[in-house]
Amino acid sequence: MMRGPIPVAVAFLAGIFMVISFFSTNPAIERVSGDFLNWVSIVSGFTILLGVVSIAHANWSKIQRRKEGWPYAVVLRVFRAGMLVSGFSEGVETGTVYDWLFTNLQAPMMTTMFSMLAFFIASAAYRAFRARTLQATLLLVTAIIVMLGRIPVGQAINSNLPDVTNWIMAVPNMAAQRGIIIGAALGAAATALRIILGLERTYMGRG
Amino acid sequence: MSWTAHLTSFDRRWIYLLIALSVILPMFFPVSFPERVTEQTRSVYDAMEALPEGSTIMIPFEIWPSTLPETEPLARAAVRHAFMRNFKIVSLSNIGAGGPSITERVLREEGDAFGKIYGVDYVNLGFKANYLAVLTGMGTSIRSIYPTDHSGTPLDSLPIMQTVDRYDDVQFVFAISDNATIEYWISIVGARFGAKIGAGVTAVMAPKLFAYLDAGQLVGILGGMKGGAEYEKLINRPEWATRGMGAQSLVHLVIIAFIVLGNIGFIASRRNKAAE
Repeated sequence: MMRGPIPVAVAFLAGIFMVISFFSTNPAIERVSGDFLNWVSIVSGFTILLGVVSIAHANWSKIQRRKEGWPYAVVLRVFRAGMLVSGFSEGVETGTVYDWLFTNLQAPMMTTMFSMLAFFIASAAYRAFRARTLQATLLLVTAIIVMLGRIPVGQAINSNLPDVTNWIMAVPNMAAQRGIIIGAALGAAATALRIILGLERTYMGRG
Repeated sequence: MSWTAHLTSFDRRWIYLLIALSVILPMFFPVSFPERVTEQTRSVYDAMEALPEGSTIMIPFEIWPSTLPETEPLARAAVRHAFMRNFKIVSLSNIGAGGPSITERVLREEGDAFGKIYGVDYVNLGFKANYLAVLTGMGTSIRSIYPTDHSGTPLDSLPIMQTVDRYDDVQFVFAISDNATIEYWISIVGARFGAKIGAGVTAVMAPKLFAYLDAGQLVGILGGMKGGAEYEKLINRPEWATRGMGAQSLVHLVIIAFIVLGNIGFIASRRNKAAE
């Protein structure tokens, strides 16, 4: 039943209604679409809970079977419990334990992981950016111009570099980006239409 | 090993060391260069300057902690400018993992520096799940999505929210983002609800947004550390971003030097092989 016509009909009616509400300024339609959006937000909240449960389960089985790196799973469980308890017991505002844990542990750790990119990008650029073909040479020269044009030193080397960089960003780059954006938007619209019309049913767990 | 082989096979640890030094040294020996302001940064500044004092603007913090070194300086520069102009700021975040905490910290610190009062001059609405629903829903009623602020205080009890309940009630939106949500601010909040949007994004995201800038869907873009440094120059308060540009300049130069060296080695070795 839940994989049959009922969910397809619900998706069709909800989809059509939301399309109509996009163009409508009728207060009644706006109110109902507002309720729909609240439901979406609530359902999305439960998907976050599902993620928490899923990671808890995956880590627990890792610890039980003493798989490689299981001590890290213990650390994750301990700190997740700490964040949960502190968040639920006294809230998440400034000055709370949750906020302290976030500011002094989670944020620096995430920042550290992200900053590793600078090292890997430098190493990868050195090894991969080679003028093997005409296209690769064009990409290489463009990258160097943009990298120089994005720093004040580039301007000191040649006062026209920032202008050339801006032109690269605003003309050839923009044209390519626009093509990608339009292509992706058409794809998204087509997928949405397929879901509304019941042609795309993978969200029900089958093709 | 020939010299060409040396040039193409540097131990990666030397590269890592030089990159680390390029970041660390400018912290102890600040290097500063004159910053030229780009058109897209000036457009954001002009849009803010064109608003009358006391206007209400929205600053969503769609940023993860991982990109803070790049996005926080530009966020702070924009918040400072807003407080300098006595704007009221309505903030929120669609990033559950830390977004509201970042918003809270930046607004509180900058608010305190300018003597601004929470609930009167600025508010942090916090996080709600599903950004598509949140952005669309706020077009009809912010209260329907956020009945309370980040701390659980009802919006109706906050003076700043007495005149704000939808996008029509804010005069400008400056969306700070390190992910795809910025495109939804443009396509939903800008295109559908007619809000004027400016963007503050990581440098790697900025190229994509030029298409929206050219189409007039975006007022302007602050791109990464450079965008922040340019904005700091415009508001005449050189701080984090301006200092960070010294390190960024050196890192760029090191990367370019290695690319050039690698290519000299590569071309020379190719010629040697052809000659043999």
